[in-house]
Amino acid sequence: MSWIHKILNGIRALVDRRRAERELDEELRGFVDASVEHKVAGGMGREDAIRAARLELGSPTAVKDAVRDAGWESWLDDTARDIAYASRSFRRSPAFTIVAVLTLGIGIGANTAIFSVVHGILLKPLPYKDSDRIVRLYMNMPASESPSKRPLRAARGLTAQQIDEVRQRVRAFSHVGTASASLRGLPSIEDAARLQVASVSASVFEMIDAKPLLGRVFTMQDEVPSSPPVIVLSHTAWQRYFGGDPAIVGTDLAMDSVLGPRTEYHYTVIGVMPADFTYPDRQTMFWMPFRTATPTGAPQAGPLVARLADGVSVEAALAELTPLLRALRPEAPATTYELAFDQRELVAPIRPALLLLMGAVGFVLLIACVNVANLLLARSASRQREMAVRIAIGAGRSRLVRQMLAESLLLAALGGIVGTLLAIAGVEGLKTLATTVTRIDISFTGFPRVDSVGVDATVLAFTLMTCVIAGLFFGLAPAMLHSGTDPVRGLKGEVDSQALVFARFGVRQWLVVAEVSLAVVLLVGGVLLARSFFMLATVHPGYTAEGVLTFQVTLPNARYTNQQLKLFAEDLSTRLRAVPGVQSAAYANQLPMVNLTDTGGGLYLSADASRPPTPLGPEIRLVSRDYLQVFGTRVVAGRGFQERDGASAPRVMLVNQATVNAFFGGDSPIGRQVFVGRDVVPWEIVGVVEDVRQYGLDRAASSQYFVDLRQWAGASVVFPVSPYFAVRAAADPESLMGSMRQAVKAANSEAVPFNIAPMTALVDNSIARPRLYAALLSVFAASGVMLALIGIYGVMAYTVTQRTREIGIRMSLGAARNSVLGLVLRQSLTLTVIGVICGLLGAGLTGRYLESLLFGVQALDASTFIAVAAAFIAVALLASYVPARRAANVDPLVALRCE
Amino acid sequence: MTSPQRPSDLIQGTLEMLILRVLALEPMHGYGIGVRLEQISRGTFRINAGSLFPAFRRLERDGLVAADWQLTENGRRAKYYRLTPQGRAKLRRTTEDWERQTTAIARILKSSLGEL
Repeated sequence: MSWIHKILNGIRALVDRRRAERELDEELRGFVDASVEHKVAGGMGREDAIRAARLELGSPTAVKDAVRDAGWESWLDDTARDIAYASRSFRRSPAFTIVAVLTLGIGIGANTAIFSVVHGILLKPLPYKDSDRIVRLYMNMPASESPSKRPLRAARGLTAQQIDEVRQRVRAFSHVGTASASLRGLPSIEDAARLQVASVSASVFEMIDAKPLLGRVFTMQDEVPSSPPVIVLSHTAWQRYFGGDPAIVGTDLAMDSVLGPRTEYHYTVIGVMPADFTYPDRQTMFWMPFRTATPTGAPQAGPLVARLADGVSVEAALAELTPLLRALRPEAPATTYELAFDQRELVAPIRPALLLLMGAVGFVLLIACVNVANLLLARSASRQREMAVRIAIGAGRSRLVRQMLAESLLLAALGGIVGTLLAIAGVEGLKTLATTVTRIDISFTGFPRVDSVGVDATVLAFTLMTCVIAGLFFGLAPAMLHSGTDPVRGLKGEVDSQALVFARFGVRQWLVVAEVSLAVVLLVGGVLLARSFFMLATVHPGYTAEGVLTFQVTLPNARYTNQQLKLFAEDLSTRLRAVPGVQSAAYANQLPMVNLTDTGGGLYLSADASRPPTPLGPEIRLVSRDYLQVFGTRVVAGRGFQERDGASAPRVMLVNQATVNAFFGGDSPIGRQVFVGRDVVPWEIVGVVEDVRQYGLDRAASSQYFVDLRQWAGASVVFPVSPYFAVRAAADPESLMGSMRQAVKAANSEAVPFNIAPMTALVDNSIARPRLYAALLSVFAASGVMLALIGIYGVMAYTVTQRTREIGIRMSLGAARNSVLGLVLRQSLTLTVIGVICGLLGAGLTGRYLESLLFGVQALDASTFIAVAAAFIAVALLASYVPARRAANVDPLVALRCE
Repeated sequence: MTSPQRPSDLIQGTLEMLILRVLALEPMHGYGIGVRLEQISRGTFRINAGSLFPAFRRLERDGLVAADWQLTENGRRAKYYRLTPQGRAKLRRTTEDWERQTTAIARILKSSLGEL
């Protein structure tokens, strides 16, 4: 209990300082009195007794100080006084304070911003319970067992029966179910045409311990195909689309399909989830039960989602699961299985880049701290006297160190405040830049979990810790230096011993070299990423995106035959061509950037039974005849599609250059006959088309073959997903949107355009990540370089000041101005060159972390290294020029006179 | 009045233990405690206000002694310290520890070469 006493007494002493002081005074006086009486009683004379008693007491102030230090509150008191003193001295030198605080603000702010991103995306657990125990099954399929005839890793579905087998047999899982995403629309509600819906097993709600706000969640009964269709609402959907109606449970809800045949679904609302419930992400608005089969009896499949039982590891679960899966899926003996956590899967593509950015921004902070340390050391020259006086009065070494640290921590705190403000603004900007359009048909190339990024309590705690560490880092050196001051010399006014000056200056020089190396590493990284992005953005994708507007159209497909749909597409493209400002219009089964891989049945070189069982590889492109014009894809040999290639004309086909190289050995295939699928009627290859990069600018073109849709008589539905329309405009494609909608409505009043986007937007979307990385690293590199240059300037200016006498002597002995200039510049050059060499070495060592982010450029690119080195040296010399000129302009008379 | 020997330095905790011992006999004011310590130790421990007063403060803070103002024999006001029950208990504990330690140290120091 004594510590409670301690605290209370300390607080009491703080609060009533004066009373404590008075009492102590009185006690000391009483002490002296008692001492005098005691000595007098022992035979001393009164005068002698008084003197002896005073001597015995010693300095009352010292005693009072010793008593004060015995209480813990004195530490608090001292610190408060230190901070007040520090802020006064900062106010006296505003230039230093502003530069130091801004420098720290940049360093700490950048770190806070990037940490917000790292924390929100990588570190924060997903917003539902036990997200770290819920795994999803992934299959690694070799080409022979994959649907696209290409090795594939995906979360393919298991049938309801297989899922049930897993549930019963695998003990490593506490819950087993399935969860997949789908889209639905709310009819006649603006902005509710495409809402994210999750189809989940009843066990999924149990897995994450989900309790509804109103009504109930799913049970196993709801999974039975014959039970009435039900739906659960999210809190957001309930508020936004249904006005928070408390009587919503039990009402009927109609929703439209979004993909595939247009259907209207009816559900009964059975529950509403609370406001803080999310699964699997914030965009999911509704939950439907996973049905084990369709109403017609076809079994349904879904990806396996399971919760690990407590204490079970992923490896153990996989070991138990794999043999069962092999037994359940004998048709896929070569497929391997994997259990992955949703969070890790989600962020895996951007994890390396984020960690790299975190490292880069750490460099920036280091450079900033080094700069501030240099500034403090420079300032220390003028504080010798002050320190000497303090030591003479009796301050202990530790007291001085404490005071210097209080100053540095105050600077760090101010820098932290500025940095946090910068970071809050910066994070908002980053979130805007990082938000990309998400479309189901396009591979996701944006940033996941951007909505969970923000400057929250954890981030602020990180900032605080950064401030403290930074403050200690740059404050320790000046503190140790000062506490070792010789008071006698300092009081006499001697600036310092020569040795100490050069020793300190040596430290500053090494600090500058360190700064330069860090800045060079950042600069090399920034230049490499920028070059890589530039190469990516200017790669020729095989088409011209500028001027092209793309969109899709929905029709209630169920009511139209294939033939009618084809006629509609033709009719629409004719109407579009008639719109003023339109150069050409086309439609196809997919556009560049659309993530669809279809071989159309496969291409074969012959039709008889003797042909090899596996087809040649090319993917099919079903296009209208103007497709190549709209996209500006060149015909390299032979001809493109023409009017005459109609339904009854001889069947013709185009292939791309990659197909020629891969399957025809580079020889011209024009005139050759090929067969598609089981069809025995041949197609003649009449032209070769340039390669189009389908899946992204960084991926080489796959082999493709083109067929005019008029000639395609595939038995299946012609357009499995609504056809893509593309229109080339003479001017800005967005200006055509109004006329486009009119044309669509005119072609069919039931038709609705969607997924409208200029092609350039789709292309930009695909390079959003490299663009952001390049932008961020360039900003960091620029800050680092700027800070390093300020550091160089500062050190050179200091050198010149320190060596004014020496320069004066040199000049009076006959040195020319130019030689003095050269002297200073040479010194700066030496520092810079050493720093640059260290920096290039560092860049070489850390290059491999950059490899995965680069396109078209190597991490150890010689030209980049040389260019960076040359540029940095040039700019450094420029920064040193001003102090060098000042040195050259020194008047020897003045210099020799000043002490 | 000089002492024949140099005053020895005491470790912090030891001084407090000694003050508690002195107060175990009767409540006393600061100077009185110092005099008593000097007397009993035959001058080995000299009165040092710079060590005594912080020790008083610490003992007060820890609740081992309590203080109040009273009149001395000379009619002046002085702060008298007295032992609290916790102080008494702490004195007993510390004395036992000290005796145990010093016995052990003495044994080691006095042991003959054969025993070491």
